[in-house]
Amino acid sequence: MTKPEPAALFTTQDWSPRAFISWRGLLLGLAGVFSLMLAYRSYQQVFGWSAGLDATDPAFDTYWMNLLKGELVVLTASWAGLWSYLWFTRDRALSQLAPREEIRRYLNLIFFIFVYAFAVYWTGSFFAEQDAAWHQTVVRDTPFTPSHIVLFYGTMPLFVLFGVGSLLYAMTRLPKFAERLSLPLIIAVAGPFLILPNLGFNEWGHAFWLMEEYFSAPLHWGFVVLGWSVLALGGLLVQILQHLLDAIRRAELQAGGLDDSLADPQPAAGP
Amino acid sequence: MRADACSRGWLALAWLLGANVALAHGERNQEPFLRMRTAQFYDVSWSTDHIAVNENVVVTGRFRLFEDWPANLPQPDRVFIGNGTPGPVLARVESYINGAPAIQSGRLQLNRDYEFKTVLKGRIPGRHHVHPMLNVEGAGPLLGPGQWLEVSGDHRDFKLSLTTIDGTQIDNLETWGVDTVVRWEGFWILMALVFVGWWLRRPLLMTRLRALELGHEEALVTRADRRFGAVFLVSTVLAVFGAATWAEQKYPRTIPLQAGQFRVEPLPREAQEIRVTVKRATYDVPGRAMKLQVEIHNPLDRPLQVGEFMTSNLRFVNHALPAAMARVEASYPAELLPRTGLTLPDSTPIAPHETRAMLIEATDAVWETERLTSLLSDPDNRVGGLLFLYDDAGQRSIANVSGAIVPVFVGS
Amino acid sequence: MTKAVGPEAGGEYIEIYGVRWSRWAAKLSAQVDIIISLIIVLAVTAAFHLHFMLLAGDWDFWVDWKDREYWVTLTPIVAITFPAALQYVLWEKFRLPIGATLAITGLMVGAWIARFFGFHLWSYFPFSLVWPALMIPGALVLDCVLLLTGNFFITAVIGGMGFAVLFYPSNWPMLAAYRLPVEVMGSLVSVGDYIGYAFTRTATPEYLRFIERGTLRTFGGHSAWVSSAFAGFVCVLTYLLWWHIGMLLSRVTTLPNRWRHLFGYPRERPPQTASPAVPRDAS
Repeated sequence: MTKPEPAALFTTQDWSPRAFISWRGLLLGLAGVFSLMLAYRSYQQVFGWSAGLDATDPAFDTYWMNLLKGELVVLTASWAGLWSYLWFTRDRALSQLAPREEIRRYLNLIFFIFVYAFAVYWTGSFFAEQDAAWHQTVVRDTPFTPSHIVLFYGTMPLFVLFGVGSLLYAMTRLPKFAERLSLPLIIAVAGPFLILPNLGFNEWGHAFWLMEEYFSAPLHWGFVVLGWSVLALGGLLVQILQHLLDAIRRAELQAGGLDDSLADPQPAAGP
Repeated sequence: MRADACSRGWLALAWLLGANVALAHGERNQEPFLRMRTAQFYDVSWSTDHIAVNENVVVTGRFRLFEDWPANLPQPDRVFIGNGTPGPVLARVESYINGAPAIQSGRLQLNRDYEFKTVLKGRIPGRHHVHPMLNVEGAGPLLGPGQWLEVSGDHRDFKLSLTTIDGTQIDNLETWGVDTVVRWEGFWILMALVFVGWWLRRPLLMTRLRALELGHEEALVTRADRRFGAVFLVSTVLAVFGAATWAEQKYPRTIPLQAGQFRVEPLPREAQEIRVTVKRATYDVPGRAMKLQVEIHNPLDRPLQVGEFMTSNLRFVNHALPAAMARVEASYPAELLPRTGLTLPDSTPIAPHETRAMLIEATDAVWETERLTSLLSDPDNRVGGLLFLYDDAGQRSIANVSGAIVPVFVGS
Repeated sequence: MTKAVGPEAGGEYIEIYGVRWSRWAAKLSAQVDIIISLIIVLAVTAAFHLHFMLLAGDWDFWVDWKDREYWVTLTPIVAITFPAALQYVLWEKFRLPIGATLAITGLMVGAWIARFFGFHLWSYFPFSLVWPALMIPGALVLDCVLLLTGNFFITAVIGGMGFAVLFYPSNWPMLAAYRLPVEVMGSLVSVGDYIGYAFTRTATPEYLRFIERGTLRTFGGHSAWVSSAFAGFVCVLTYLLWWHIGMLLSRVTTLPNRWRHLFGYPRERPPQTASPAVPRDAS
C-alpha cells in the first residue's frame, strides 16, 4: 500500500487547532454563566437586606418568592430543552464517525465540561461560602432565604443542566461513550446532581434540630460526600485524553501519516 | 477602596430598582411558642433613634426567662446577649447583664429577671432595625422588640481603637493585622505560582500522559526538577520557621482565645409573687381576640389593678390605668403597641388577699400581622406572657401567665 | 524535551518527552492542555472548597475561632484530602508533582473571593475577622516530597506530618497580632475575641465557638504543638486513604450500554443472569 507523503496531507486539509476547536461556543457558555452569576449576586446585594430579612413581608414575596418561581420555571424548561435537543439530534450512525470529526466532538465535550465546572465553581465555592456569610449573620426564618433561592434553586439546577448535558452529549455523539457507559462521567454528573435532593436533609435538620448556624454541622455533610464525586472528573480526564490520543492517531493514519506517531521513535533499521 | 466603590454601585442599583426597607428580622416567622414562652423582654428602651458613624446608641431593658419554658427547648445553660441587627452594621462596644460584662456566655435561670445594657457604635450608614436578643444554646436566637435607628455619615470614617495590655496602640480593629495577612498570604500564593509555573511552562497533560504510558520517566522528571524541588522544600521550611520566630519576637506576650463563662446573679425576686391561674384561654379567629379567663390572687396588703399584658414583645396596655400608661416609653415601637390595648370587663381593683376570677381581652389585628395566630397550628399549643399589675401607689408587680389555648372559629 | 526530528518527516514531526508527535497534534494538545488545566482548577476549587467549608469552615471564617485545639487539629486533617487525591491523579498519570499546591492554592483563592464578596461586601465583616488560614507552605512540602521520593507512602509519612506541623507556624506571623491581650469591661480577652465580639454575627453567638475551653494540661502553653502532632498523625492516615480515593475515582471503568442500538450499534445480547442447571442441548 502506498502512502501519500506526510507533507502533502497537511496541505490538502486544515490541520491547525482552529479546525478542531470552536472557541465561540465555549466563550458564549462562559459569558452566559458569568453574566447570570453577576446578575444573581447584584440582586442579592440590592434585595438581600432590603427585602430578604422577613419571609412574612409582602416585599419578600415580590422580590424573592417570585424570583424562586421564575427560576424553577426557566430552569426546568432549560433542562427539558437542552436535554431533549441533544437526544433528538443524536448521531444514529456513530460507528461510521470519521476520526477528524470525532476529535472535534471530543473538544466540544471538553468545552461542555468546562462550562459545567465553571457553574460548579460558582455553586460549590462562591455562593456556598457566601451562604455562611448570610446565615451566620441573620435570623433564618424560612427555607427559602435570599441565599438559598440563588444557591439551591438558581446555581445548582444550572450546573445540573450542563452536567447532564455533557453526559448526554458524550453518549449521543461519541462512539466510545455510546458503546459503553463511562462510570467516571456518570459519577461526576450524578454526584453533584444528588446535592439537589440532599437539600431535603439540610432543610429537615434546620427545621427540627439545628437552631443555630455553624457550617461544619453534621447535617451539611451530605453535601460534602456528594462533592467528592467531582473527583471522578480525574478518571474522565484520563479517559478523554486516551480516547483523544487514539482518535488523533487514527486521523493521522487515515490521512496517511506515519505509523509510529505518538509512539517511541522507530529504532534505526539494522544493517 | 474598591470595596466601597462596589458597594456604591450596588446602592445605586438598589435605588434604581426601588428597593424598599424590610420591616422585621425574621422573628415573625418564628413559632409563637418560641416568642411567647421564652425570653420576655420588657422596659426596653433605645437611647436615641439617630446616630452618626462612631456615635453610640445604648439599648437597655430587662428580660425574664419564662417559667413555662417550652419542653422541647434546652434549658438556658449557655446564654449570650446579642443584638439583632442586620449583621455588623453597628459595632458592639460593651454589653452587660445585671452589671456583669457579657462578652462571653453564661448560665441564666428560669423564672428570674435580668437587666441588660448594650452599647452599640454606628458603623454602616443606613436605617437599621435594632433588637436586643438572647441566644440560648440549642434554642437559637430569641429576639426582643426592634426599633429603627438611623446611622448617618460615612463608613470610611469608622474607627474602633484599642490599647492592649502591653501598650500596643490599635488604631482600628477593622484593619488591624490585615496588611500582614495580605502580604504574607500574597507571598505564598506567588510562591505557589512559581512552583506550579515551573511545570506549566512545558508541554503539560496529553504529552506527559503518553510519555508516561511509554515509560519515559526520566524525560518527565529531570535532575533539574529534583534540584528545584529540593531547594523549594528547604526554603519553604526555613521561611515558615523564620517568620514564626519573627512573630514570636514581635509579639512576645500573647494569650489564647478566652472561652470562660460569666456568672451572674439574677435580680432579686419580688417579695410576694402574684399568682395567676389561667382557667380558659381562647383565641377568637374571626374577631382576632385573645380572651383569658384567669384567677388572680393578690397576696399583697394593697389593692392591685391589671395594667398590661405583654407577650412576644406586644404590649396590650390598659388605657384606663395611668400608672400603666406612664410605663410606655415614647421610644417603644408603635407597631408593637396595639391601639385598642387591654380590655377588662371588670376593672375594679383586686382587694388585698382577694382571689378574683376575671376576663382579660386582648383584641387586635396584630395577632394576625405578627403571625401569632399560627400558634393554632403548633404542636405545643400553649400561650404565655407577662401580666403587669399596679398597686394604688403605682408600684408594679409582674406575674407569669400561661396555659393551653383553644381556637374559636365561630364569632362569639 | 521538544525537538524537531528528521528531515525524512519533512519537519512535520517533533519529539516531546521522547515521543514522536506530528506538529499539528502537538499544537492541538497544547491547547487541550490549557483548557483541561482550567477545568481541573475550577472543579477542584469548587469541590474542595465545598468540602473544606463544611468540615472546617467555621474555624477558617473567623479569627475568634482560630484556637490551639480544634483549628490546629482539624484544618490540616480536612485539608490534606483533596491534595492527596489530586496528587494521585497528576503524579501517577502525568508525573506532575503539583497536585497539593494546585488544590490548596485553588482553595485559598476561592476562599479569598468568597470572603471579599460574601463576608465583606454582603455581610459587612471586616477582613480582620474573616481572613482565611494559610496552608500553601504545607502543600509545597507535600509536593516536593512526592517529587523527590516518587513514593506515596513516604509522602504520606513525611509530607503528611510536614503538612500538619507547618500549619500553625505558617499562620502564626499573621495570627500573633490577634492574640495580644486586652482589657475590656474589666475582663481579659484577646484582640481576636474582641473583634469577634464587636462585629456581630447575629445567628452565631459566642458560645457556638467550638474552641479550646481550657486544656487539662497545656505542657507549658504549647498545646498548639500537641494539636499539630496529633493532626500530623491523622494526616498520614488521611493522606493514605485519600490517595486511594483518588485512585478509585480516576480509574477508567466502563459498563455495557443497553441502549447502544439507539446510536446505530448492534443490540447487545441481554446479560445472562443465571446459568441453566441443565444445559439445553443435553437431552
